[in-house]
Amino acid sequence: MNDFILGATEVLSPSTLIMMFFGSFAGIIAAAIPGFTVTMAIVLTLPLTFTMEPLQGISLMLSVYVGGYTGGLISAALLGIPGTPSSVATTFDAFPMARKGEPGRALSLGIWASFFGTVISTVVLIFAAPPLAIFAVKLGPWEYFSLIVFALTIVASLVGHSLQRGLIAAMIGLAISTIGTDPMMGRPRFDMGFELLAAGLPFLVVLIGIFAISQLASEVEDVDAVKAGEKLTHGEIDFKTWVVMREVLMRPVNLIRSSLIGVAIGALPGAGGSIANLVAYDQAKRASKTPEAFGTGTPDGVVASEAGNSATAGGGLIPLIALGIPGSAVDAILMASLMVHGISIGPRLILDNADLVYGMFVAMAVSSLMMLVICVVSMRAFLRVAEVPKWVVVPIVLVCCVVGSFALNNRVTDLYLLGFIGLFGYALKALDYPLAPLVLGVILGPIAETNLRRALMTDSDWGLFLTRPVSLIFLIAAVLSVGWAVRGIIKSRNNQKIAKDSI
Amino acid sequence: MSRTPEITEIQGSGEVARLLSYIALLAVSAGLFLEARTIPTSRFEVLGAGAFPMLVHATLIVLLLTAIVGSIRQLPAQAYGRFVSQIGQWAVSRRLVFMVFCCLAIYLFTMPVIGYPIATFAFLAVLQITFAPKTRKAIAVALVLSLIFSFGLNWLFAEVFNVFLPRGR
Repeated sequence: MNDFILGATEVLSPSTLIMMFFGSFAGIIAAAIPGFTVTMAIVLTLPLTFTMEPLQGISLMLSVYVGGYTGGLISAALLGIPGTPSSVATTFDAFPMARKGEPGRALSLGIWASFFGTVISTVVLIFAAPPLAIFAVKLGPWEYFSLIVFALTIVASLVGHSLQRGLIAAMIGLAISTIGTDPMMGRPRFDMGFELLAAGLPFLVVLIGIFAISQLASEVEDVDAVKAGEKLTHGEIDFKTWVVMREVLMRPVNLIRSSLIGVAIGALPGAGGSIANLVAYDQAKRASKTPEAFGTGTPDGVVASEAGNSATAGGGLIPLIALGIPGSAVDAILMASLMVHGISIGPRLILDNADLVYGMFVAMAVSSLMMLVICVVSMRAFLRVAEVPKWVVVPIVLVCCVVGSFALNNRVTDLYLLGFIGLFGYALKALDYPLAPLVLGVILGPIAETNLRRALMTDSDWGLFLTRPVSLIFLIAAVLSVGWAVRGIIKSRNNQKIAKDSI
Repeated sequence: MSRTPEITEIQGSGEVARLLSYIALLAVSAGLFLEARTIPTSRFEVLGAGAFPMLVHATLIVLLLTAIVGSIRQLPAQAYGRFVSQIGQWAVSRRLVFMVFCCLAIYLFTMPVIGYPIATFAFLAVLQITFAPKTRKAIAVALVLSLIFSFGLNWLFAEVFNVFLPRGR
């Protein structure tokens, strides 16, 4: 109790709270710009923490972290462009909702879902960190590969109009992920002698090219509307703070399920928000009584995606605090910020620096509250983005995408890749290929390949995928998931047939 | 032919375009499958660096072949003739999109030579002035925004974040 009070006192001191306020704001702004990720914002914050007390420094970084997971929602809802990889699924429903004239409701739903997602993940972090962390690190490559096979079945929920084109898009994504150096032995693959392909296609460049460039290009398809100064969205700019809070709380099952998915995926080293938001969305769609409403602007889709990605913030801290294993790049930077101050991270962290760990729990809760306050207060200003005419937004966001892609690796060749992938993405969009399965393929491809090859390097017996219990559970879940998807497709075809016959 | 009446002219042209995309993707995928076969296997592992790509491309090839067969069966013969005339109309209606991609290509390829600030200023000024309603206010706004997001953003990144955008040769 003494340690808890010590930690809480330091986090709640005015100087730390002011730092966290600016951190939260910076995280939200950075993530709202397509191409700038939470990781980049955290990296830029790291040098600022060197002169601070350890807990003050980590509190600042946690505020950037939590703010960053929410910021991606702004461009996802208003522009249809995921601000970060964690908000891909947010575009599916928040963007249609904004386009239907409810941009305020779309943002408000996402913000409240993010807030509750972070709070739930903090509660789980406090009570379940040690047992969950031990389970997560016991998973071997067999379990990871089976988990990715299960995650790939999410494609069925993201296919849009055609299952066939959805599967083709997912395979194109997996194929794109194989370009460049092979992840196990470092052997060059498919670079065709071009320097720009030798390092592979960076995931963020693919994401920006596929989603942002293609979306921006399609915004200018209607020549007359653009030249007449048409705005991005029409409708009332009303945030409806408390009404929407109730709307989110009226979906307790979706909220808790999505948050727990976020925590579980966040706790797995190597996974993260980019997968959690898609899995949470998929599960919400499957559990819904009206799955056909998903993708058209349903609140359930926004709640699932945002609660799922925000909960990974707490989930990612589970292996970090309990075992000293960073689950993602951001967690590794958080770890580095503590190591700079001479704090050793490992299983003894909670014993040797209990005040620091309890302080981190308090900082997580305070960060989520701060994010909520900043968003509620400043959201009207963000919503003004929707009132800016397309002739201003499209060129400027294109430049932001270019700067974001370049700043990722400081490589000019990434800019050329961005141009080609953007054109490819627009062509696919024009031909009615769903883009989300492609991005899912690019995310999951390297994880699937690495774990499949690692598993077979450890033991060449393929049967282990079926005889290890957790691996088997994931594979059974994958089969059930495919079966459920096929059943849904047959059912909807039959319904269409019946409707046609009745006409 | 039983499904022919269900397909409208525009859907037919869209399906022809998709059929062409399946064929193009099939050619690329088959080429990469053959390329993956030539990647040598390491003696330290069961699966080599080419195994996973071969699995992916084999699946993609099967899916594309199925899609091609489905498209050919679905399309009426006259759809191919209509496609040529409709593709021209489609391209004209999307002339701003093509302009965006042309400007983006010139911008990205000239940036390493003339530097981020000048390339960005020119890119933003040209696109915004082309898209904007032709009023003095709109043109003034376009020029001010071009200055802020070119020279201003370059200064911000260099001085605040220590990230140096391309400076040109």
